[in-house]
Amino acid sequence: MANSDQNRDAFPDDVSIDDDTSVISTRGFEAFGRKVTTTASHLIGPITDPTSHPHYQSAMTEIHKQLQKPTLQRSVFAIARTTPTDLVRSKLSSKEIQSRALAYVPDELLRNIPASSNSYSLFQGFQASFPEFHDEGKKHKRRVSRGRKMLDERPVDPGSPHAVQRLKKDKTSMEHQLEMLGVRKNMASSEIREIDNKIANLHGMRKIILDRLANLEKEEAVLEHDIMDVESRLDEAQELADEAESLAMETPNKSEEDLSRTEEGFMSQSIYEKLPAANTPPGKKKPRNHRKKTLPILHEHFEPGTMIRSMRAHQDNITALDFDAPFGLMVSAAMDDSVRVWDLNAGRCIGTLEGHTASVRTLQVEDNFLATGSMDATIKLWDLSKAHYDPQGSQEVDEEDEDLAFVNPDDHAVDPPAGSMADCPLFTLEAHLDEITALHFRGDVLVSGSADKTLRQWDLTKGRCVQTLDVMWAAAQATAMGSSDGPWRQTSRSADGSADFVGALQVFESALACGTADGMVRLWDLRSGQVHRSLVGHTGPVTCLQFDDVHLVTGSLDRSIRIWDLRTGSIFDAYAYDHPITSMMFDTRRIVCAAGEDVVKVYDKVEGRHWDCGAGITEAEKAKSPAIIERVRIRDGYMVEGRQDGVVGVWTC
Amino acid sequence: MTQLPYAVDAETPLNAAELNVLRAQYEKEGEMVGVQTKFNYAWGLVKSNVRADQHLGVMLLSEIFRTSPERRRECLYYLALGNYKLGNYAQARKYNDALLENEPANLQAANLRALIDDKVTKEGLMGVAIISGVAVAAGVIGGVLLRNLGRKR
Repeated sequence: MANSDQNRDAFPDDVSIDDDTSVISTRGFEAFGRKVTTTASHLIGPITDPTSHPHYQSAMTEIHKQLQKPTLQRSVFAIARTTPTDLVRSKLSSKEIQSRALAYVPDELLRNIPASSNSYSLFQGFQASFPEFHDEGKKHKRRVSRGRKMLDERPVDPGSPHAVQRLKKDKTSMEHQLEMLGVRKNMASSEIREIDNKIANLHGMRKIILDRLANLEKEEAVLEHDIMDVESRLDEAQELADEAESLAMETPNKSEEDLSRTEEGFMSQSIYEKLPAANTPPGKKKPRNHRKKTLPILHEHFEPGTMIRSMRAHQDNITALDFDAPFGLMVSAAMDDSVRVWDLNAGRCIGTLEGHTASVRTLQVEDNFLATGSMDATIKLWDLSKAHYDPQGSQEVDEEDEDLAFVNPDDHAVDPPAGSMADCPLFTLEAHLDEITALHFRGDVLVSGSADKTLRQWDLTKGRCVQTLDVMWAAAQATAMGSSDGPWRQTSRSADGSADFVGALQVFESALACGTADGMVRLWDLRSGQVHRSLVGHTGPVTCLQFDDVHLVTGSLDRSIRIWDLRTGSIFDAYAYDHPITSMMFDTRRIVCAAGEDVVKVYDKVEGRHWDCGAGITEAEKAKSPAIIERVRIRDGYMVEGRQDGVVGVWTC
Repeated sequence: MTQLPYAVDAETPLNAAELNVLRAQYEKEGEMVGVQTKFNYAWGLVKSNVRADQHLGVMLLSEIFRTSPERRRECLYYLALGNYKLGNYAQARKYNDALLENEPANLQAANLRALIDDKVTKEGLMGVAIISGVAVAAGVIGGVLLRNLGRKR
């Protein structure tokens, strides 16, 4: 047996060297006893490293140590593992016991000790980082020593032994410094690795939580739908109860009984009152705006520029599109004269809106209301909440394209049931003489711009035209007044007649902004019907505009985006792309543009950064070129773009 | 450069300012503290002469031991050293033996084992001296008492 052989070798060595003690000394016995124990423990315990012989080496070190000690100390107490004070402390002092418990390391961990693969030890790291604490002093010293060196160098004879000694000392200290630097370098790199690991872990956690969020949102949508269902049933029941009450006035007892029974059947009164939609006035069949209750936030956590969905909405060039909220309802119109309503959450077509006799050029969705302006010179208003659509219905069909899955844009969506939109049309506004090219509504005010060179203001409660604004008259008026704004100028770019006379409109209470084909942006006061300011700058027809409380942003066929300061009427910022801008919209952070390319041009206002987002980037790797983007809309970082081939893409921004 | 400090190194405390720098660094990194920073602070604490500091140092070291397996081998030595300074010789011996089992040629660990043995023997002898002293005194008194009793009879 190899172990015992080695021990036999070791033991006589021990004795023969230590010749002034008798063979029967306590030390000899004790050493023998220990060796037997170590051997035994090695035989019994798992062999961690079979290649080396640790027991042999440990035996040797022990002998070595024993030889160095005075004989007196090797007494009976050497067998004891610890001292009486330690024993007393560990058994009696509660504070000590507490700290021992905190610092306790389980035995299985003690056994599991991997070989260290670190390029530097912790102590080296400690030593290396320690000088940093007195950085100033150190630097100072170094500079001094360097200065002294330079001073000393001259008087001392370089050949003298003194100089040699000093140089040697310098060399060693510099080598030491170099070594330190090496350790510090290793420290930094390993720290970076540690941080990388942490980042990777956090990324994993983020992914898990993102999945959780997606699930929660899905559940939320389902529950919301259920609530809507219950609410509509409750409304019906309420109506029935009211009817019963009015019918049976003389017998109040019975009707009351009825009422309480029906209510209990659905939901207790207290819960009903807590619901936000409880304020809905009776008489309305459905809650007007159910989508405001929950706000989808999932898209905010995606990497900017991630595709959420892509769908083939039409077979032809998209001419207009808008949506009410992220993952809400989208309405798209194309050259093929159709207007479709989409559920962005499921990526499904809810229905087609029939009514216009020509293709829709412009539309706007706000809450559940939709306004469409068509080439047939009419404007139609629709109530989308009247659509017969069950968000949970036919889910089995869509099961495979769950929330984020890509939907093949060439797959034609399942056709919606015919007549699902039959209840939607509210009324039609007819007064314009030529095609409607722009419209905007806010509250009860709708303004429209037409190729007949007029703007009209409509009252949506009465459904009537309130005011007609003649752009040409305003332009002529401006010349007559001799203002610097000048008369109507036909820009060279619109000479081919392709540009719309009124490119864009936006209304806010009595303020109206309109961009026209002469490149002018006019700000009207609806109370007086006068232009109170003209913004001159664009050299091509204005195609899009939007303002908030401070800035007005306009895009034009002259390829530029201009940001105006509404208070002063001066240019605040401007930038240009390579092609004419056909569509633009901004939210709190980004200005997105469709500029005749297969990508959407995004300008990040916060970071001041321009970047591209869209199919042109991802498809470029596959050597495919998607169609040019025609229209783009953005709300809260949720962007929808419509292309010339009828495909609609949804992205995070 | 030495990979591990000798036990003497643990007996030289840092000054308050230095320890404060280490503590500030440790506290600044908060929950995501790096191993090196934690060790720096722990080692600074172990070097201290205040018993409470040493306790905290050993606790931090055991945390490092638990959380970063690649540093376990080194940590064994520091745990042994810390416990040695605290006077917890049984613990110190446990850790040191575990280290020596893995690295039998480790000079620092061998040195520490010798130190532990020394301390244990010395304090043990002192304990024996006290106990035997008490015993002798008791014997003498007892003897005197017995003699007195005997005389009375």
